[in-house]
Amino acid sequence: MAKLSLMFEDKLVKEVPIGSRPVGIGRSPDNDLPVDNLAVSNYHARVYFEAGRLVVEDLDSLNGTFVNDLRVERATLHDGDSIWVGKHHIKVDASGDAMVSWDSGRKASAPRINETMVLDTKQRRDMLQQAAAMGERSQFAAGRLKMPTLVVLEGKTDQKEYVLTNKLTVIGKSGMATVRLKGWFKPQLAAQINQRDDGYYLGPGHKVPTVNGTPIPGPVRLNDGDVIEVCRVRLNFVFRD
Amino acid sequence: MQIASGGVTNVGRVRTNNEDCFRILEANNLFVLSDGMGGEAHGEVASALAVETVVKHCLAPEDKDATLIFADIPPTWSAKTRVLANAVHLANKNIYESAQAHPEQHGMGATLTALWIDERRFSLAHVGDSRAYLLRGGTLQQLTGDHSLVAEQVRRGILTLAEAERSEMQSVLLRALGAHPEIEVDAEEHTLFDRDILLLCSDGLTRMVTEPEIAGTLQAEPDPVRAANRLVELANEQGGADNITVVVIRVGFESTDWFSWLRRSGRNKTRANGSAGGE
Repeated sequence: MAKLSLMFEDKLVKEVPIGSRPVGIGRSPDNDLPVDNLAVSNYHARVYFEAGRLVVEDLDSLNGTFVNDLRVERATLHDGDSIWVGKHHIKVDASGDAMVSWDSGRKASAPRINETMVLDTKQRRDMLQQAAAMGERSQFAAGRLKMPTLVVLEGKTDQKEYVLTNKLTVIGKSGMATVRLKGWFKPQLAAQINQRDDGYYLGPGHKVPTVNGTPIPGPVRLNDGDVIEVCRVRLNFVFRD
Repeated sequence: MQIASGGVTNVGRVRTNNEDCFRILEANNLFVLSDGMGGEAHGEVASALAVETVVKHCLAPEDKDATLIFADIPPTWSAKTRVLANAVHLANKNIYESAQAHPEQHGMGATLTALWIDERRFSLAHVGDSRAYLLRGGTLQQLTGDHSLVAEQVRRGILTLAEAERSEMQSVLLRALGAHPEIEVDAEEHTLFDRDILLLCSDGLTRMVTEPEIAGTLQAEPDPVRAANRLVELANEQGGADNITVVVIRVGFESTDWFSWLRRSGRNKTRANGSAGGE
């Protein structure tokens, strides 16, 4: 599996494998590779597989992203490359990617779709590439890493805004809730948000919330800009850069 | 804290063998489910090996295996999450090595979804397209993301969820245990709330039964064993195209009439093991 190693001078700070999701690099601690340096932007760059290539993309950072010595906006990465952000650099190890293939000992045959199968690295890239070509430009390739955020418009809560970093977000009075409601007669679990493959879904808890004024009796996918209301608290769901 | 659980595995109505496997360790609050793949009987071998390895490692983690994870472990992870994630890495290694050593097993693999409850928190480790769900406050929420081609296309915005559910490519996995010597394991921790219901299931359930049906069944049937049986029945009524395995776990923190009733009715009914070929 390909991996990225965050280095400061010759010290290894952190190592992450590059999987199916982009690897975020930046000063904000919710990045996969957080870089604690003022020269680095909060969301500085990201690295991901696209159409079978490993790509680094600068996210309009203030001081730029460099591959080896060149400043880049987007660049294909190769095994042994170094990505520089501020005084840190990230070593690219793509050597492990040429792995033993799943079906290497057999004759190639058309996939029998009813039978579960696992793709090897090359098949996986080819298929995702084909799929990407069919699907036009996907949101995945559309530039920035957007953070889903709840901004409190009205009502008593423990914070003014919440970045949704977990798969489960609970809105309620409970001490374990992410969005903690304050005041008398508020339920422990008022409503909840579940991150799924295609987005964020708001569902009821012990109350039925509304989205843009419409009551939500079952899970509904949230769109950028939606206004959620539950227990006299109004929250604006937005994707932030 | 009180936990009541039950699990069922069923061959379905189309296949002749059951490659699914699960294990419930009530005393340890550990729940493991695996769906095997591979020709002949090797899917059964793979899923059983996956479950055995995870259970064994969680009950007696060997120190030398603690170094298996090469990626960084978030400092906030509990010891249980680390052990569980390591156990899944180890299961991958065991299946891969077994397939290397036995040419007839070439191509075998397995999914794995494991859940370990520790008081108010639970750890989850996952590879493949079996799933974990949480029913909380009447709302069913998916805890795992499928490591399938179509799910990846949904995450990238290439397919909609509805298109993915109609796709002919649903059985194509991007990640499964045994395919490569190393694997990326999804591991996470969540907080439990009173009356949470957790569900582990193989794709034989989720391909046949809709999420509102699953949520309705879990709410209507308080006994975990009966709820699991009812879900299997539903999958079979709707075709039973694949093996179906369901594990239902109900959690209570506040002593209530609801739970004491449940414990009375659930006693003596919990089956703790299920695997291909029976035990």
